[in-house]
Amino acid sequence: MELVFLLICGGLAVIASLLVIFARSTLHSALWMVLSFFMVAIIYVLLHAEFLAMLQVIVYAGAIMMFIIYAIMMLNLRQERDARVTVRISKVVGIAALIVLFLELMLVGLGHSLTAMQGPITETLVATHGRVAVIANFLFADYLLPFEVASILLTAGVVGAVVLSKRVK
Amino acid sequence: MIENQSIYLALSIVLFIIGAAGAICRRNAIVVFMCIEIMLAGVSIAFVTFSRTNQSLDGIFMVLFIMAVAAAEAAVGLAIFVLMYRKHGSIDLDKFNLLKW
Repeated sequence: MELVFLLICGGLAVIASLLVIFARSTLHSALWMVLSFFMVAIIYVLLHAEFLAMLQVIVYAGAIMMFIIYAIMMLNLRQERDARVTVRISKVVGIAALIVLFLELMLVGLGHSLTAMQGPITETLVATHGRVAVIANFLFADYLLPFEVASILLTAGVVGAVVLSKRVK
Repeated sequence: MIENQSIYLALSIVLFIIGAAGAICRRNAIVVFMCIEIMLAGVSIAFVTFSRTNQSLDGIFMVLFIMAVAAAEAAVGLAIFVLMYRKHGSIDLDKFNLLKW
């Protein structure tokens, strides 16, 4: 059952991501991107990371895609649609390097069974405390410093966006 | 070890490669930006898969911080696109060679 869901959602995520690249209008790309993010959220649910799935829907499919669609609607991109496609040597080399990278990753990632040291988060711990409580305990104890750094980064990003987009008189 | 680990990893690799190919081929800056988000999604799937495989929460925290960085990146990046459009009337990346020598 999990395998069926995984194959359907993974296939839809791959198709939606391909359509992001091949869609002619930028707005259509953005809408396919929303579908792709929803499918990734379902894959997080299949991996028992429900908290991340909620964040994925709220932060990515909600906030970030709203940003992007706002930007698309503010800019008039229609005249670029009929611009002709130039084939450059750098792009050909880049795609060839990507194919090599893909084969390497497939060989290394899927050839062996990857195992590592098992961590402390067992299923019984999660069952007794609840998953979000376990995440919160670790986030505000072991990961407190990165958490604060992330909040500073977000503040700096917002201030930077305001400063950049303000018109200089 | 979970049963479908290799399928999750294959999915993450495929998403990463699709995103990288789009970032190389497309010229519209916003589409390139979305392709980078696809690459981040692929990496996040790999992190969550290994987090579940190894009974650890570190991968989940990595994905949380990836989300924070992506949100900051979206705010600053789209402001830069608006500036580029205001200055040059397009966001075609092939037309921008300010930093090329």
